[in-house]
Amino acid sequence: MFKKILIANRGEIAVRIIRACRELGVKTVALYSDADRQATHVRFADEAFHLGPSPARDSYLRIDKILEIAERSRADAVHPGYGFLAERSEFAAACEDSGLTFIGPRPSAIAAMGDKVVARDTVASAGVPVVPGTKGQDNLHDEELIHFASEIGFPLLIKAAAGGGGKGMREVRSLDQMPQLLHSARREAEASFGDGNVYLEKLIEDARHIEFQIMADQFGNAIHLGERECSIQRRHQKLIEEAPSPFIGEDEDLREKMGAVALQAAKSVDYANAGTIEFLVDKNKNFYFLEMNTRLQVEHPVTEAVTGYDIVAEQIRVASGWKLSRKQEDVERRGASIECRINAEDPYNNFIPSTGRITLTQLPAGPGVRVDTGINIGYEVSPYYDPLISKLIVWGETRGQAIARLRRALEEYRIVGVRTNIPFHQLILATYPFITGKYDTRFVEGQFSMADPAESRESYLDIAALLATLVAQDQSRKIKQEAPRPTNASRWKWSDRWKKVK
Amino acid sequence: MNYIAEVDSLTFRVEMIDDHHVRFGDHVIEIDLAALGGQPLYSLVVDGESYEAYVYPEESSWQVILRGNSYTVNVEDERDRRLKSARKFADTRVTEFVLRSPMPGLIVDLPVENGSPVARGDILVILESMKMQNELTSPVQGKVAGVKIKKGDSVDLKQVLLYVEKEQP
Repeated sequence: MFKKILIANRGEIAVRIIRACRELGVKTVALYSDADRQATHVRFADEAFHLGPSPARDSYLRIDKILEIAERSRADAVHPGYGFLAERSEFAAACEDSGLTFIGPRPSAIAAMGDKVVARDTVASAGVPVVPGTKGQDNLHDEELIHFASEIGFPLLIKAAAGGGGKGMREVRSLDQMPQLLHSARREAEASFGDGNVYLEKLIEDARHIEFQIMADQFGNAIHLGERECSIQRRHQKLIEEAPSPFIGEDEDLREKMGAVALQAAKSVDYANAGTIEFLVDKNKNFYFLEMNTRLQVEHPVTEAVTGYDIVAEQIRVASGWKLSRKQEDVERRGASIECRINAEDPYNNFIPSTGRITLTQLPAGPGVRVDTGINIGYEVSPYYDPLISKLIVWGETRGQAIARLRRALEEYRIVGVRTNIPFHQLILATYPFITGKYDTRFVEGQFSMADPAESRESYLDIAALLATLVAQDQSRKIKQEAPRPTNASRWKWSDRWKKVK
Repeated sequence: MNYIAEVDSLTFRVEMIDDHHVRFGDHVIEIDLAALGGQPLYSLVVDGESYEAYVYPEESSWQVILRGNSYTVNVEDERDRRLKSARKFADTRVTEFVLRSPMPGLIVDLPVENGSPVARGDILVILESMKMQNELTSPVQGKVAGVKIKKGDSVDLKQVLLYVEKEQP
């Protein structure tokens, strides 16, 4: 087992990794930028080192500095978390060159799956179904892409070859939109990944986004931990994830088939450590390989909740040379788990990012509730990093109980200092499609609106009016009190007089 | 002091009796308001019922977020209301569009300069915030004037970025 792990990340995921290390008795090294001095991960770790200025390219993306700190702190392994350097094969390779264990797959597997074009090609030749598109044709020019676009048919997606998280992705409905959208997709891909290469993919309509968690050791053993349903998305960013998928539900045949295909995809690149195979599933239960994420996922806790498996601890054990702690037949699922991603953004104002200092936070707790967060009182949410500030995860014996718990926990959760999307989650959880589990990836943008009132809205109109009035009165009273502010001199005079009277 | 609160299409009359009693419509109710950790989170106990809400000031109203619902409430005291009805509004025709930053972020591109002619929907600024690039477009046809920013600048929420002089028909 490792003695000391450096965590090349920040925020809630750095905190999550520190927790796993603590339980395993491994020392931790945190890194921080200027903006993160007050962050939880810095305070929870055994050691912390300053990386540099706030922008990620000057801090969390600086491979040279990170390796220097690893050497200085005598860490023997690096956990990359998700985002930043997690899927950069050159980082994994650089770690190994410096004698550090990279907690993740081998650089070759990251490279093969990291280029989405190569990934599609690799898994397709291993017999895994893929979405029709410009597979295996790298570096196409705009004219060639426009030509293929008519062949694939509309609607289609432009996707960044080096991409992820919806960046550099554009949906195209007709041929005349192609030139402009290609241009903006390339520009965003270039800015996000330093690679403007894009490819096209047919858009599967009414699709569900279902992914399988894979875990593999270095001895060729691989298991899957079942699926996660991630169809509640906005602008291709996942917002709510759950396990099991209400779409797969009791269909164990489909689950087994998809799990087997996921393992096949992982084996096609000699995969080791934790990974996720993402599928698009159409309403007829046809499923297509979308991509493989060669790292820990944001939404891994829902799988942990239903399997009782500590994915991060297992990542560390496997990377240190242990065999998988469970066999496929020992993986059991119990109950249902749902996660809400709490973002610093204003759902009532077109989800624009919200920044500011956290002045109060009250975490939900009680039966079946877990919160993974990297913020605390006094922390300043800045525009430098992604808006995810917390994850609220619940578990219930049934999906119904999980939903009831989640609604209860969302109402308990208080964050003051930034706007959050908690009201968005509260509204989604009250919708018929969510409650019945009948939703697809279009639900949020297509059928849902923050302006649609929840059933409970009418009942509180009078309370809302009363609250606003009382607060308005309180504020105007404060302003009046502050208005005739005495100068220092007159205050002294008063104090003097008061003494005399006494 | 008497207040008038409007929410959705309903109007509520609120008369402050003392710190713990108000006349709300026809009823006198007992209230206890407490700010939690400073604004904007409040706890309100009203006739024994307990509520908690965020109350945010907006430009001319209040946003109340209560049990997952958002309410926009207009609150006026009687004096405000009298003043408002007495005031006269001059008819000022807006001749320019002011582009304010909808979020804090970084200017990654500025494809226009002072004097650039723009059509509706043209990109004025590309703003990066929280890892997403946002294209800020012109809602009007006209000419760019008074560019206040340059590529690479960090900007705050609602900061004025540039103006577009509207083309007069």
